[in-house]
Amino acid sequence: MAAFEAVSGAPSDITAERPARQLRGGPGDASAERIPAIELDGVSKRFGREMVLRELRLEMGAGRVAVLRGSNGAGKTTLLRMLATRLRPTRGHGRVFGFDLQRQGDEVRRRVALVSVLGGNYPVLTARENLKLAATLSGLPGNDLDAALARVGLDAAADTLVRTFSSGMKKRLGLARLLLLDPPLWLMDEPYAALDEDGKNLLDEVLTAARGRARTVLMASHELERSARFADAVLELAGGALRRSGS
Amino acid sequence: MSAAPQGPRDRAGAAVIPEGSAAGDLAAVLAIARKDLLQEARSRAVTVATLFFSAVTLVMMAFAMGQDAELLRRSAPGVLWVALAFAGVITAAQSFQSDLEEGAFDQLLLYPVPRASVFLGKLLANWLYLAVLGLIMTPVTLVLYGARAGSDLWLLPVTLALGTFGFAVVATFYAALTANLQAREALLPVLMFPVVVPVLLGAVRSTEALVGLQNATLAGGWLQLLAGFDLVYFVTCTAIFHLVVEE
Amino acid sequence: MTQRHETPRRPLWLRLLGLSTVVLFAVGAYLALVVSPPDVNQGQLIRMMYAHVSVAWVCFVAVIVTALYGMAFLWRGRPVDDTRAVANAEIATFFAGLTLISGMTYSRPTLNTWWTWDAKLTLTALMFALLVGYFVVRGLIDDPTRRGRVSAVIGIVVAVSLPFNYLAAAWFRTLHPTLSVAVTGIHIAPTMLFVLLFNVGVAALVYLTFVSERIRIGKLEHERDEERERREEGAPGEVVRV
Repeated sequence: MAAFEAVSGAPSDITAERPARQLRGGPGDASAERIPAIELDGVSKRFGREMVLRELRLEMGAGRVAVLRGSNGAGKTTLLRMLATRLRPTRGHGRVFGFDLQRQGDEVRRRVALVSVLGGNYPVLTARENLKLAATLSGLPGNDLDAALARVGLDAAADTLVRTFSSGMKKRLGLARLLLLDPPLWLMDEPYAALDEDGKNLLDEVLTAARGRARTVLMASHELERSARFADAVLELAGGALRRSGS
Repeated sequence: MSAAPQGPRDRAGAAVIPEGSAAGDLAAVLAIARKDLLQEARSRAVTVATLFFSAVTLVMMAFAMGQDAELLRRSAPGVLWVALAFAGVITAAQSFQSDLEEGAFDQLLLYPVPRASVFLGKLLANWLYLAVLGLIMTPVTLVLYGARAGSDLWLLPVTLALGTFGFAVVATFYAALTANLQAREALLPVLMFPVVVPVLLGAVRSTEALVGLQNATLAGGWLQLLAGFDLVYFVTCTAIFHLVVEE
Repeated sequence: MTQRHETPRRPLWLRLLGLSTVVLFAVGAYLALVVSPPDVNQGQLIRMMYAHVSVAWVCFVAVIVTALYGMAFLWRGRPVDDTRAVANAEIATFFAGLTLISGMTYSRPTLNTWWTWDAKLTLTALMFALLVGYFVVRGLIDDPTRRGRVSAVIGIVVAVSLPFNYLAAAWFRTLHPTLSVAVTGIHIAPTMLFVLLFNVGVAALVYLTFVSERIRIGKLEHERDEERERREEGAPGEVVRV
């Protein structure tokens, strides 16, 4: 069965940089393609007195791209962090590729990367050192650091301390980390912010390539036009509720 | 069913980050420890703070205890270990503070590496740092306070290792807690000190034996207490660390 | 139209428990103050021991129970377990304070000092500090689930610290032999033993009463919060599909 081939890896991938891994979309590999990338079942999140997310119900198929919109403080970052298992839902259950967010966090984290607003870089380390750490902590050999750095245009600055980087460069480094890890689900929090025109074009290319490789992308963004180009759907988060707006 | 689409970078399906292994976890621990120490080597924030603070403590206590040479000599072990306890607080607090900038601490928790590895990596770095600090401070204290090391010199490395480890375990654990809660830094010593009293007592008694104020066999008993403390807290804190960093 | 919520009445068993506690407390006090003979060495002062020892024992039990319920909360996630843990922690803190005060009151006349480095007293002081930390941390967290989980962690560490702090305090005491309050070294006459055990029982009853009432209140608070949450949440939306 073709699905079985997808599971065991086609022979042509032996030359791939990363050793061929099984396509483990979730429990029940043979039907991996049918398992949604994201399932939210009545997920709520409360911070103190405030109910930031209310009873979210979402089903996002693998390989789909969605843009998340909402005003500041609407809960976009909260939702993304929850999907990355950084936050626990107050109520309800969530699953990424079939793995429960709370009980199978390790499995979820292996399939997810979050590009956060703050960047997540160590200022006193160089770009290369930051990426090397990311690779080691993800269990990757880290042979393709240079390729990732070059892809985002940071090869010249690879050995300078991140402390000296502009905010745009820091964003690019975050993007490099994402490319290095290259998981099935990409969670991106305002990826266009702080990027210059070149940077935004770069991100466009990366997203186009991601679509071609069936990556699932959930991107919170205020960049209406650019992000809509890639989106299969536009989601609105308002008053703690999620709905799909006509795209 | 079609096989997983191939993109420009050939991989076997949606490449999932490889499953964790013991070797991978160990590599993660070492990478985190190395990163912490590298950060410290470059920024020297902790080094300056702890050296300065320890020096001030030693000198002020010496002045406070006045001209009585015998009193001074007898108090050397106590002052040494109190200074090290405070150094432990500074070290652990800083090790998480510096991660909080730019969301690096968050990022650290997004990797598939188990939470315990993050704890162990930071613990290792903090312990090594404190041990080296102790190694420097011990002769300085002895000289300043007019004490001389006796014949049981083996006591020095053992006491330093076990004592600083005890401080490091509890300090690192609680520092993660206070950092994650964004609590005032002053909370760390309040939480930590009632727990590490046995370490303080054991280390001081053992150091007293080193300078001839105490029977070495009695000191052996205290060292056993220290070792037991270190073991129990090491296991406990590692096991429950993941609860401390969740949100 | 607003609903006035009336606090449900205290259940019968709890009222009976409270009543019997008061009665038995009176009996215990009588036994301690009147029936028990004065000690050979310490005279009338020995009567303080009954209060001191009984609250001390209950305090330690309460700390351990706090940790146990904390672990139960971690395992099962039921809010009532966190409530039970807090109730025990509160009682433990209160009794620790009583232990310290009674200990100091005891040592002042006998040893002419407010503080002795008696093993039990030192341990209690450390435990008191740890419990204060427990509540400070709790106060920093709004989310009930997270608060319960972090509290459980602190509770575990506090419980683990007991043996080590006791050993350390006990060995430390051997360095100050003259200042020890030898409560346990007293030759206990059978009458005194009975009074002591009776008062320990009374202390246990006081503990049970307060903990039960506290848990009852905690459950009510939780119900009220739950209801408020349910009202805020509103109807669930339909599934958004991408």
